[in-house]
Amino acid sequence: MVNRNVVTLLMLVFGLLCAVMLVHAQNAPEASERGKEVYEQSCAHCHGTEGRGDGSAAENLLPKPRDFTRGLYKIRSTESGQLPTDQDLFDIITIGMPGSSMPGWETSLSADERWEVVAYIKTFYNGFKESEAPPRQISLEGKIAYSEQSVETGKELYVELGCVECHGNVGRGDGTSAPTLTDEWGFQTWPANLAQSWNFRGGADTEAIFKRFIGGIAGSPMPAFEGDSFLHFGLSVEESKRLTELENKDEMTEVEETESEKFYEKMDVAVDLALNRAEGIELTAAEQQTYDDAMKVVYEKSWHLANYVKSLAPEERPEPAIGKNVLRSQYVQGELPGMEDTAWEVLQSRHFPLVGQVVIEPRQFNPTIDSVNIKSFYNDTEVAFLFMWDDRTHTTGDEIDESTGKPLEDALAIQFPVKVPQGPTAPKPYFLWGGRLPVYLWHWKASAPEQVVEITAKGINNAEVQAAQGALQAQGAYTDGQYKLWVKRALKTDDKKDLQLEPGVFVPIAFSAWDGANGDVDTKRVVSSWYTFVLEPVPSSRRFVYPPLIAVLSLGLLFGLRAVVQRRNS
Amino acid sequence: MKTYLLAGFALLLACCYVGNAFAADSGAGEVEMLVFPDSYSAASVSNGGTISGVVTFEGDLPEMKKLEITKDQAVCGATDKYDESLVVGEGNALKNTIVYLIDISKGKDFDKATKLEIDQKGCKFSPHVQIVPVGVRVTMLNTDKVNHNVHIFSSINKPVNKQQTKNRRKMPLAGVKKAEGPVAVKCDIHGWMSAWIAYVPHPYFAVTNEKGEFTLEGVPAGTYKLGYWHEACGTNSDSPASVTVEAGSTATQNFTLKLK
Repeated sequence: MVNRNVVTLLMLVFGLLCAVMLVHAQNAPEASERGKEVYEQSCAHCHGTEGRGDGSAAENLLPKPRDFTRGLYKIRSTESGQLPTDQDLFDIITIGMPGSSMPGWETSLSADERWEVVAYIKTFYNGFKESEAPPRQISLEGKIAYSEQSVETGKELYVELGCVECHGNVGRGDGTSAPTLTDEWGFQTWPANLAQSWNFRGGADTEAIFKRFIGGIAGSPMPAFEGDSFLHFGLSVEESKRLTELENKDEMTEVEETESEKFYEKMDVAVDLALNRAEGIELTAAEQQTYDDAMKVVYEKSWHLANYVKSLAPEERPEPAIGKNVLRSQYVQGELPGMEDTAWEVLQSRHFPLVGQVVIEPRQFNPTIDSVNIKSFYNDTEVAFLFMWDDRTHTTGDEIDESTGKPLEDALAIQFPVKVPQGPTAPKPYFLWGGRLPVYLWHWKASAPEQVVEITAKGINNAEVQAAQGALQAQGAYTDGQYKLWVKRALKTDDKKDLQLEPGVFVPIAFSAWDGANGDVDTKRVVSSWYTFVLEPVPSSRRFVYPPLIAVLSLGLLFGLRAVVQRRNS
Repeated sequence: MKTYLLAGFALLLACCYVGNAFAADSGAGEVEMLVFPDSYSAASVSNGGTISGVVTFEGDLPEMKKLEITKDQAVCGATDKYDESLVVGEGNALKNTIVYLIDISKGKDFDKATKLEIDQKGCKFSPHVQIVPVGVRVTMLNTDKVNHNVHIFSSINKPVNKQQTKNRRKMPLAGVKKAEGPVAVKCDIHGWMSAWIAYVPHPYFAVTNEKGEFTLEGVPAGTYKLGYWHEACGTNSDSPASVTVEAGSTATQNFTLKLK
């Protein structure tokens, strides 16, 4: 009896185990255990063990880690609505996504491990298993080389296709729709700043831009520009021109009517074929030809557009302002140039990357301001700076931050030590607005663009507006997603709390910036650590005297020596 | 012995339940969905019956939320616009409710003559709720002469996000493969624009008008589960109404909905 009980119990336990395994098996991945292991070790913190993008670190991230259960992948080499290729996934894991929290894993995971992870990630979405055919890739044939003319054509398309709505007039991501964009999961998202190619998630080469444009960025507001998003899809460039001409006529003759009708029919056919294709209906060879002809025009236009986007940003991110790129204020004689003066154009700006302030609460984990670029001139008595930084929105404090009760507004603070440390090893004040050693600050706010307030601070929450103000002249402006701030001050002031400037002395400089629309207020901001700048000393005129003198003397010495040797020999 | 068996069985059930709960969890927090039959075959229906009724709203009516028009004022801001997630008319008539047969597997075919269109006019989608049969193309109209992007948040079918520039008056969209929905339709350029599309496998779906009325015609005689879906009031998928319709006659079924 006891034995029978035990057997029954065992059977039950076995049955139970089977049932549990069955339930699991329904969602069970086919990928190897190794892929799962690597995923859980390296990816799950952000993407979650179930791939839902809800790992423990996800809360503080924006853009949010991808939810793999929907099969929506931003960076693909495939057409709209198609899944990515394995290579696409592998590349993203390898390279990472610039401008987001996704790092590249090339050095920390072997290629094998990365492929295992690709296989494992695919198990989170059934669509990978269900799809019969391989995803349709975007053809890169017929690439149009970069040229000024192509850029010009692309620029027209940029307006015609409505890119400006989100990306703004010159592409800084400051379009009128930018502040209201959300992603598939309802989180706020910003359009790419096309002037900062180093933050493009899928890379900044022309092919990558082309692919993003044709295939769209799944899960984001960026649409796919498939064939029939274009004006007169199905017509050649000449036909399209002719039709526009006809449509602009007040009245068409009968012949013209017939002509335009033909164009419309041609367009209808092309659209119909595109839809058939999307619905999975196979095209006949002739139909395929018609479709390909229509797409050829679309692809050509897309290459022009990609070339234009490419033209909006420098080839690479500028080097940060250290070493040979340190900010050197240039000496000029006479009056310093004003904000709009063309004299600034001769200077190359210096680049200061900024990062979210994550040391002191409240922190900024998702910064929107990337960097500040600076130029500077000085003369015998004054110094002028031109600060430039990109911000997608112009926020002047109309909205109040709920937690602090303070207005949300765009701002910039430039920080110096009160006293320049003597020598490179001398301690500098704490980079976050000083501490034991105080800092001297220029604080500018978008709501008062003509004003810079001088501040002395001994800590990020311990700042005091100086009693004596007015030493600074300032002018600020916001155009097309970019702030420009011009500041001028005397090299020497009477205020002991001010920094005193002298040519040839390397002065520490640091920055804080606030994007009101991104919730930046108080310590929630972007910052830099210490950089340096110098008033480039005027080269002394003595350089025209000493070197020739030494040369003449050396020559004399040589001749002398020669004479001595000759005399001795003879 | 019996105790062991019972306990084991209970444990087994518990496990299955937990497993299912986990499986169901992935859909939590999402919009409630319509319920579709496993299969549907179309045939001609002679002497079918009609199901009609009125959907009314019950409860305190929240004030209609005026939408903030943030751009293209000349076109979009010409008239005031209100959030359409809850449109209640005279006599508490509830507009934009989908009423449909849940468990029909055989019935009439779709009316193929009707052209399906969703207009983007004054930066508003109209209609707010559109029924689209599986495989049928719906045409997006742009009457606005501003740029729109048609963003359809499908998850069973392929999601769609296509630019419809101001020059493109009509843009037909490819038919979908599977029944799904309702799925949200948005325009990212004008963030306040919102609509719903239900991709359906059979023709027994209706959307209530301003008077809250719906009519399902050509229903083969029989007893059916009658379901509803409303954006703000949810569904009755858990306890649908049971309606018996006789050949050639009309059955009436009214619904009273509350905010979920």
